[in-house]
Amino acid sequence: MTTNDKKSVAFKTLGCRLNQYETDALVTDFSNAGYELVDYNASPDVVIINTCTVTNQSDTKSRSVISQSVRKAKNAVVVVTGCMANNFKAKLESQENITFVVENNRKSSILSLIDAHFSGEIVHPDQLPQDVFRYEPVHKSLHTRSAVKIQDGCDNFCTFCIIPMVRGMAASRPVADVLESVRKTVENGFKEIVITGVNIGRYEDGRVRFEELLAKILEVPGDFRVRISSLEPDGFGDDFVKLFAHPKLMPHLHLCLQSGSDKTLLRMRRMYDVAQFRKTVNKFRSAYPGFNFTTDIIVGFPGETDEEFQQTLDAIKEFNFSHIHTFKYSVRKGTRAERLENHLPEKIKSERSLKVRDLSVENMKRYFESFIGQTQNVLIERISEGTASGYGENYIPVHFKLPGAQKNMIIKVKLTGLVGEDEDMFFLGEIVGE
Amino acid sequence: MMSLMKPDMQMDVSFYKVEEIRHLTDETFSLKLPRARFAFKAGQHISLGIVGGNQSREYSIYSGENDENLELLIKEVDNGYFTPRLRKLKAGSMVEVHGPFGKFGMEPELAANGKFVFIASGTGIAPFRSIVHTYPGIDYRIIHGVRYSKEAYDREEYAADRYTLCTSRDKGGNYNGRLTGYLKSCTFDPETHFDLCGNSNMIFDALEILKDKGFDRDQIHCEVYF
Repeated sequence: MTTNDKKSVAFKTLGCRLNQYETDALVTDFSNAGYELVDYNASPDVVIINTCTVTNQSDTKSRSVISQSVRKAKNAVVVVTGCMANNFKAKLESQENITFVVENNRKSSILSLIDAHFSGEIVHPDQLPQDVFRYEPVHKSLHTRSAVKIQDGCDNFCTFCIIPMVRGMAASRPVADVLESVRKTVENGFKEIVITGVNIGRYEDGRVRFEELLAKILEVPGDFRVRISSLEPDGFGDDFVKLFAHPKLMPHLHLCLQSGSDKTLLRMRRMYDVAQFRKTVNKFRSAYPGFNFTTDIIVGFPGETDEEFQQTLDAIKEFNFSHIHTFKYSVRKGTRAERLENHLPEKIKSERSLKVRDLSVENMKRYFESFIGQTQNVLIERISEGTASGYGENYIPVHFKLPGAQKNMIIKVKLTGLVGEDEDMFFLGEIVGE
Repeated sequence: MMSLMKPDMQMDVSFYKVEEIRHLTDETFSLKLPRARFAFKAGQHISLGIVGGNQSREYSIYSGENDENLELLIKEVDNGYFTPRLRKLKAGSMVEVHGPFGKFGMEPELAANGKFVFIASGTGIAPFRSIVHTYPGIDYRIIHGVRYSKEAYDREEYAADRYTLCTSRDKGGNYNGRLTGYLKSCTFDPETHFDLCGNSNMIFDALEILKDKGFDRDQIHCEVYF
């Protein structure tokens, strides 16, 4: 509790960029309403936990964070929201130490719920309005970059995925709202905007599809750059590739391959095959050498043979992903993959996961080494003991000395060396000019 | 400030009363519901649940865009959880339908001008019946792979020269063997669009055959069934 009757609020966020964005938007809401943002160790009046349920591991982490928060903030109003709130609503509601469980589609109204609570009103979260796009543009943020949400939900029904059940079906934010949100976010001082959603490639508002929307976003006046969060590798054409010639659009895509085996991809019910993925990667790399691709890989999907897994390793080498989010397949109740035959033992999944990680590190090193001697414009996100750090255009991490450095500055840096081990590798750099 | 009023109660538009169950074989039946309360593209699927139940499954729509009834083609899975419950439904039972979903939908301009080969295994024929009902003038061929000839669901609705039945366990088909065996022997116009619907193994094998015949992957559209 803080002084002068000013209420305090702490946030904990798990999972994807979309969750991070939604937390940032809530931070803005609470900040504008006069709440003080504090760490959850500082006895806040309100703790908001934005959970994830995409894998078993996410569930475990979310449960652990909820337990810790409840333990540390004994007298706080505890709000659990996010995908776990959808997936395990009844169970969470039965926990006495959780005050409110708020589903994703009502998350944007949590401030009204808390205001009502402190005013003595009895409001159930199910009475909150349902609107997945009601978020204000981010002003006060936990991050240097700000996301802008353009889309929510997914109806691809990949066989492994719980997201359609917890985020609902695909919905697109109206173009005018998106552009207004971008404008305001830029006015609020952000230099880098991350376009986010659950399946943003499926954006469709009338005749405006994702690439047309992106073109409009790039034309918003202001000194800012644009990144795209993760993207499904289907449904876009040559015009999308051409957009990356725009100086505001950063040369990096997190393009989710999931498997290098066509058979596995079909069992996953993915909408592309490896040859189509290859075509996309080659188009980008022939237009923009050095373009950075990162990806998600699921290992140990039901029925994945040694040969199919080897095809995944081959694809990872071929596409030279500089970073891979590796997921050991875990059953999500209610998905079609739950009902597939030949679920693999944990031991095989772990062995395969390690192989992918090793390859990912090799790729990262090779990709990073190709940048030594080059320059990158780095957005400063952290400053520690006179060393600034952040990411360059290609989403590569750079550390450099800069007296008087401030977060949110973009600095031109020459990459002089590579330090660190495994996935913690980063560049050392020298300033070329601001 | 929040209103204390409860949200207005609304009749759930996703609830449908079963009108008829049409038994096609011992295992397979069609569920006839009232006309769809949503617009859909022939080829798309919906999510089906039983009112009061806690599970749902996705099914391609079996009826045409303008048909009097929304119809689904369902095969009971041995030892399954959901389909045996569906099979017990009677006229008057309530089900819950959400959708439509998916990109496997026929575009009117393409239907008017394109040449199509529809390749289906088992109940994977559902989206193609929807397409043929919606676009009776469409230039198509269906290659339908089943185990027994009795599984040629509603075969009489397709012109005999447009429908090829491949049976792997009896001799009642136009071709006796797996549909992939038949497919290997076929020749197609280079401009053909291929739409595949069925289990992932059939789709994988059919894709390989079509690619070997020189067709571009972009000419081939797939809907995997489970």
